[in-house]
Amino acid sequence: MSEIREVPLKPAFNQSRQAREAEVMLNHIVDDFIDNPAAMTYFYDLFRHAFIEGKALDREGPGIGTTCIQVPEELIYAAGGTPVRLCNGAYHYDQVGADFMPAKSCSLVKATLGRLHSEKAVPDVGKLELIVNPTTCDQKKKAAQMMEGMGYQVYDLDLPSAKDNEAAREYWRRVVKQLAARLQKVTGKKLTRQRLREAMAKTSRAQAAFRTLHNFRRKAPSLILGKDVFLVTNAYFFDDIERWSAAVEALNAELAQREAEAFSAVQKKAPRIVFTGSPPIFPNIKLPLLIEEAGGVVVADETCSANRMLYDMTAVDEWLLSHMIESIADKYLKPCTCPIFTRNDDRIRRLLDLVSTFNADGVVYQSFAGCQVYEMEQRSVAEALNKAGIPMLYIETDYSPDDMGQLSTRVEAFLESIKTRKRQARA
Amino acid sequence: MSKLRDAVNNVDLKRFRFWFQLAAFVLFVYGGYLAINLGNSLPMFSCGYIRDGRAGVCYLLPLQHQLARPWPQLFSYAGVAVLTGFAIFALWFIVLNKGWCGFVCPLGTLQDWLTSLRQKLGIRQSGYTHEQFRRLTWIKYVLLALLLLIPLGIGGGLWSHEVGAPFCQICPGRMVLPLFVGDFSQWTIDFSSPGKIVLTALGMGITGLFIVGAFVKKRFFCFFCPMSALHYLLSKPALLRLRKDGSKCTRCGDCYTACDMEIREIADDVTRKEIMTDDCTLCLKCVAACPEKGALKVDFANITFFESTEEGFIKRMNKGIRK
Repeated sequence: MSEIREVPLKPAFNQSRQAREAEVMLNHIVDDFIDNPAAMTYFYDLFRHAFIEGKALDREGPGIGTTCIQVPEELIYAAGGTPVRLCNGAYHYDQVGADFMPAKSCSLVKATLGRLHSEKAVPDVGKLELIVNPTTCDQKKKAAQMMEGMGYQVYDLDLPSAKDNEAAREYWRRVVKQLAARLQKVTGKKLTRQRLREAMAKTSRAQAAFRTLHNFRRKAPSLILGKDVFLVTNAYFFDDIERWSAAVEALNAELAQREAEAFSAVQKKAPRIVFTGSPPIFPNIKLPLLIEEAGGVVVADETCSANRMLYDMTAVDEWLLSHMIESIADKYLKPCTCPIFTRNDDRIRRLLDLVSTFNADGVVYQSFAGCQVYEMEQRSVAEALNKAGIPMLYIETDYSPDDMGQLSTRVEAFLESIKTRKRQARA
Repeated sequence: MSKLRDAVNNVDLKRFRFWFQLAAFVLFVYGGYLAINLGNSLPMFSCGYIRDGRAGVCYLLPLQHQLARPWPQLFSYAGVAVLTGFAIFALWFIVLNKGWCGFVCPLGTLQDWLTSLRQKLGIRQSGYTHEQFRRLTWIKYVLLALLLLIPLGIGGGLWSHEVGAPFCQICPGRMVLPLFVGDFSQWTIDFSSPGKIVLTALGMGITGLFIVGAFVKKRFFCFFCPMSALHYLLSKPALLRLRKDGSKCTRCGDCYTACDMEIREIADDVTRKEIMTDDCTLCLKCVAACPEKGALKVDFANITFFESTEEGFIKRMNKGIRK
């Protein structure tokens, strides 16, 4: 008698909606362009494994989820844990998460909740021992309790909303020290000076690699496209930090070679764009992709899924544990250009600096519908850029693919107007 | 040339300063034994009470003596001596600006050594709150005014010579620096007159405070130093300058964390180009701690010779991590 074999009831993961969504996007990113850097293969494969095949990512130590960039990862590594940034970019999870949030809320927050609520969600980073939720925007603040309702342990990291204030800096240093204490409880490992040094070395290596990549993007014509760089920085959310750093260093080596060969990844006159606003997170790389498919190139960004997350580095004056933690705390507060702060001159100054030092022709400002803080800052940013004679395209969108046609028309028109401007300026 | 510039920008400032300060300390505390004499108008605490070892004298000592001359003299021929003394002082000062504090002053160096000792013992640093800072920062100007007015009052016959050179009597340099040439004679209270009793007793107390203060807080004394106040008033034409390009600053606060004097403007002020404040000692740690290229730079006679760079920052940072 032959054994009766059970027919699997569930289809394979790669047939699922979230896998299909990721696959469509990844195929665009990879196949719509020629001359992808060979070193990008690591990242393409990583996303294919994680999002399309649904493979678990092997990571060491207790998983600590983070929901914004202000959670000091050095402390998590030093306490023996592994940080995982939970901010999600999938339209599928956006729809799942819609049950938790009012209709007019930000796709990112809904998708993050939706992913946490789903079983077998991707990227599969294993069990989360704790979610550290900085009190940034209102929607993220309120999400904390909902996550708790789903059975997660959530730690509110009280980020001050007026960072210019000296009292806020002192308060934030205390908050970060309390987090350090909590992390030690979760992991059961003591945070020592030596362990923190080692953790800082990891982060510092990653940041140095990121900065090198960032600097290569100053070159005109561009050596690499923005869609690839967004994929690289997105991988930082969940990839092993050492592997990630090595992969970025390999990419940098390839870009150095491209530079030596005077290689150009775009047409010579491709409009150079600085991207700002709500963060592109895979699979929602929609807008950067549209810009580059229309012949532009994203040369720099001011978003929390890339530049804002990795750019600013810690300086330590005295290598004693408490002072090291304080210095780390400062880095996560003082230079941060998150729109949740009461005023945001720093963000405007950073944008103006990026445009001038990266020789950019214009700015594309993405705001997720329902992300009030970015929507509210749009006006002041537009005014400042206008005053400096920098064209800006403001786009309100969400994770749904429905507006792709409309957006592509607007992006094309914007890029065309930049080209015309440049022609007229030359004439 | 660009290689040389990279080498300078990548300098391990901590080590460079340590050796530079040590050399300056040896020069000004023991140089006298080699018959080195750089005059008595030096813009830092090369203390006149180091009898034989000193290689020059702190300007505040002769200044207070000169101002205590009787007024008829002071406002005639003795005035010339005051003016020439001041001119020589100003010339010395203009070269290094407040760099005299961060790199040369023996009392400053001594405080840095106490800080190193504290770090070796694993004791954390203390600091002021922003409000304390604002309240205390005026003291150096008050001390400066007193050290000028009290001698003038003596010359005018308002009070007696007992309180001559009043600042030297309370300056910790007078008691601490002679120790390095084995002279303990300053560690006494002078009972010869009530004025001397008060001043020397005060000096004893302040010296105690200096040692304890410098041990818990970086450059504790410099915050109150009247020489520092005098420097600042003259700093306009100085050749060595600390400059900031606010457009390149991310206000990350790395420089502020490094600053021994807790000067907040260095990180937060993005409009002022000449960023040296009255508390600054031009130790240049802020430049070394800045990761943004050209955001902070040091000029000599308008030629930039040291500026913040990403490469230099990462090098120094990694050195710290690996230690």
